[in-house]
Amino acid sequence: MDFRLTEEQEFFRKTIAETVDKMIVPKADEIDEKDEFPWDLWREFSKLGYLGLRYPEEIGGMNADPVTAMIFYEEITRGSVGFAQSVIMNILMGTYFVYRFGSDAIKERCLLPAMRGEKIATICFTEDQSGSDLGATRTTAVKDGNEWVLNGTKMWITNGPIADFATVLATTDPSLRMKGLNFFLVEKGTPGLSYGQRLSKLGCRGAITGELVLDNVRIPEENFLGDELGKGVVYVGEILDEIRVMTGAMALGIARAAYEEGLEYARKRVAFGNPIGRYQLIRAKFADMATEMEASRLLVYYAAWLIKEGLPCRKEAAMAKMFATETCLKVVDEVTRIWGANGFAHEYRPQRHLRDARFLLYGGGTHEILKDFIGRSVIGKI
Amino acid sequence: MNIIVLVKQVPDPEAIVEVKGDGKGLEVEQKFTMNFFDEFAVEEAIRIREKNGGKVKVISLGGAKTTEVLRKAIAMGVDETLLLEDPNFEGSDGYSTAFVLSKAIEKSDYDLILAGKQALDDDAGEVGPMVAQFLGIPHVGEITRLEVKTDDNMVVVDKVIEGGKEVVKVPLPALLTTQKGLNEPRVPPITGVMKAMKSQIPKMDAKALGLSEEQVGEKGAKIKIERYLPPPKRREVKMIEGEPQEAAKEAVRILMEVERIL
Amino acid sequence: MAKEIIVFVEQKDNEPRKVSIELLSTGRKIANDKGWNFSAIFLGNLDEKVFDRIKRYPDKIIHFKNTYLEHYTPEAFSFVVSEYAKNNNAAMILAGATLMARDFFPRLAVLLSTGIASDCTSIDWGQEPIKLIRPIFGGRVITELSFKTEPIVATIRPNSFPIESPADKDAEIIIQEVDIPDEIVKTESIEVTEPKKGKVDITEADIVVSGGRGLKAPENFKLIEELAEVIGGSVGASRAVVDSKWRDQSEQVGKSGKTVSPKLYIAAGISGAIHHIMGMDTSKVILAINKDPNAIIFNYADYGIAADLFEVLPVMTEEFKKRLGK
Repeated sequence: MDFRLTEEQEFFRKTIAETVDKMIVPKADEIDEKDEFPWDLWREFSKLGYLGLRYPEEIGGMNADPVTAMIFYEEITRGSVGFAQSVIMNILMGTYFVYRFGSDAIKERCLLPAMRGEKIATICFTEDQSGSDLGATRTTAVKDGNEWVLNGTKMWITNGPIADFATVLATTDPSLRMKGLNFFLVEKGTPGLSYGQRLSKLGCRGAITGELVLDNVRIPEENFLGDELGKGVVYVGEILDEIRVMTGAMALGIARAAYEEGLEYARKRVAFGNPIGRYQLIRAKFADMATEMEASRLLVYYAAWLIKEGLPCRKEAAMAKMFATETCLKVVDEVTRIWGANGFAHEYRPQRHLRDARFLLYGGGTHEILKDFIGRSVIGKI
Repeated sequence: MNIIVLVKQVPDPEAIVEVKGDGKGLEVEQKFTMNFFDEFAVEEAIRIREKNGGKVKVISLGGAKTTEVLRKAIAMGVDETLLLEDPNFEGSDGYSTAFVLSKAIEKSDYDLILAGKQALDDDAGEVGPMVAQFLGIPHVGEITRLEVKTDDNMVVVDKVIEGGKEVVKVPLPALLTTQKGLNEPRVPPITGVMKAMKSQIPKMDAKALGLSEEQVGEKGAKIKIERYLPPPKRREVKMIEGEPQEAAKEAVRILMEVERIL
Repeated sequence: MAKEIIVFVEQKDNEPRKVSIELLSTGRKIANDKGWNFSAIFLGNLDEKVFDRIKRYPDKIIHFKNTYLEHYTPEAFSFVVSEYAKNNNAAMILAGATLMARDFFPRLAVLLSTGIASDCTSIDWGQEPIKLIRPIFGGRVITELSFKTEPIVATIRPNSFPIESPADKDAEIIIQEVDIPDEIVKTESIEVTEPKKGKVDITEADIVVSGGRGLKAPENFKLIEELAEVIGGSVGASRAVVDSKWRDQSEQVGKSGKTVSPKLYIAAGISGAIHHIMGMDTSKVILAINKDPNAIIFNYADYGIAADLFEVLPVMTEEFKKRLGK
């Protein structure tokens, strides 16, 4: 078993880490403070072409395999979670179904500009009454001639207020629950589409999260994203594992960012005449953090490798997301403890990592849902 | 224009570097990067090619891991790379490094050679001027601006001098060492990164350069490192006693005579 | 022929540079201990009274003249010194590690088929082989090295050696026209521009003088500025005074400001909050001035004065002025 990254992957990792350090890290604090979409940084970063990471070279993408993609997600999240969410939305969730099912005209209008950063993409699952319980989706899509009419309100939409186009999950038959779910493309400027309140969040600031309101929004037939009706959940399944492992990679990035702050402090802060890193209880914290981060890393990249090899990995992906997240939450907590009272101050970074990490608990699936799933998987049908 | 850029892979500035117990070697954390000043050289070479056409070739002397910095150069946009790799190159000093590099350079056509002004591991700043001397060409050190005059086959540069700058003209071929402020090195775009990831890095060893063991590495070096020592530990603070005015004068005396800051 | 030690003397405004005098003083000791001849080499245009300051250190002062030497070029300077060295059994050639010497000494070494040690901080000539000390990795590691060939060619960091009293004999002064083949010199200087009056950024300054809350009011930063001006330093500030808008963000030293690593860092009226420490603790020499003898900053400083900065700073400024002849 060769656990190493290939020379190419190592080079990619190094390059993206340096790019993040140079372009994103210096702006991360400001992005968090202002909680505004960083347009200048977005434009500068888009020029590098990374938004096409997952799509084929023929259309201007990089055709990156899942392991390489995870390296990217980890590093960019290490730089700034708010910015990373926007980038990843354009790279994956916000564009995948458009890429998968969109007509050439739609791809030309939406996918290609999104890959260049010229358009902002988003995806809408969650509603006021449905998060984990997708079957309870109430946003409806009704066929009327050669148009679909959408009605409903979507919540917690990343970059909803500034999106140029959105992939919306709507039901064509509520009584069918999961089997009535479908994806539709809704573009900015369509009458009936409006934005509700913008949410002020604890962390991941800089990503503009809000409500999307659909009031008799009419979209043409070709904006139905799918081969058949009722397969929405099946289609989600195509990228569900990747989304979960990606969340795990994001957790690794946040954990590392916090961890390095902890290291620096332990090496420099003097108490009772010694740098605190010399004391056993501080060392114990680092031992635990380092071990669990290492284990998280192996699980995340193993799951990514399984996806790459086309092997079954629903369980491993869920485990990776869960374990890496739980580790990250512990790390950000420990680091603020190591920083003492300074961990409580806005002027230092540990508090930002602490706040940012919370989103990992529900992004990509809540841990309650994941644990139920994993438990059921291993126990089997009884 | 054919431009050659000399780059070196050095330990990351944040890497932990410690002297081994017996003082005969160093324990270096295995995190490497392209030498800071070399980035300006690579960037400038690419800019000259973008403006005047030609080719940029990057040469580095190092071990297997050095391919990383050559890939970085490719990602930034250079045309060719060459890794000079040979176990016999171990233990080189400035002299034998410059000698080997000059032999590799002689095998190519070149109009201009760019190199970083000094490497942040050895802090020596010797190799650039030494390569120029071996090749019998002029050099200008620590340039902060570069203008190519293709019609006259020369370059006009700003170089750093104490507290100011000097404008210098030199005919090609010439070697220039680069200082901070020359340009802003570009962040490689994904297309460059992809190209770099797929590239094969050509290598040459001593034999391919036509050199014997005695001419290279430790055997070819003129300097021997007898041992490594850790830096003096920061001592306990020395409180300067006395009345404020006396302490002030004593502080000045210490800074000037003992610490020799000024 | 006895061996010879050569010191290249750099001059500025018709004065030998301080580091050259340090090396001439050291060269005298080396020559005495080793029984070597000792020459000081001057190149280019100069007023011969520049010799007065140093004529009691070497045996010979040689002033080489040629139109190509009127302005520094690496080719001409290295050629002339190497020719002299070859013909005079040079065992050691030293120069101060200035921009100029560090630029041409490597070429000199190649011309003499010998190695070079740059920016050394010490020479131990009392044993064979002679050992030189130089820092690497920005000073995090020190190396002790020796030469396998002759002569030893080295540039020495300023302030590494003391200037001691000279001998009591005047050196022989030789003015010599020297030949430099045309094809050797290709570099041409076009113009030299005056030092910029602009401020040196604190991250690049050799000396930083920082002030904190202890200064009590923004006007009092004048004390910091005056001291910095006299010793050629840049002004830094703690986060507290930047937040209070006494000073600009660009001067802030610390984790959320800039990290500095100058040769000398003077912290006045700064308590030593950890984020400030993280921004300057790699400075070579740290002097802290604070009224509170228990201030944390003293844990990180090399020298400390537990006194009122209002009494200390002005006296330091005056004392520096006196000693630097300003």
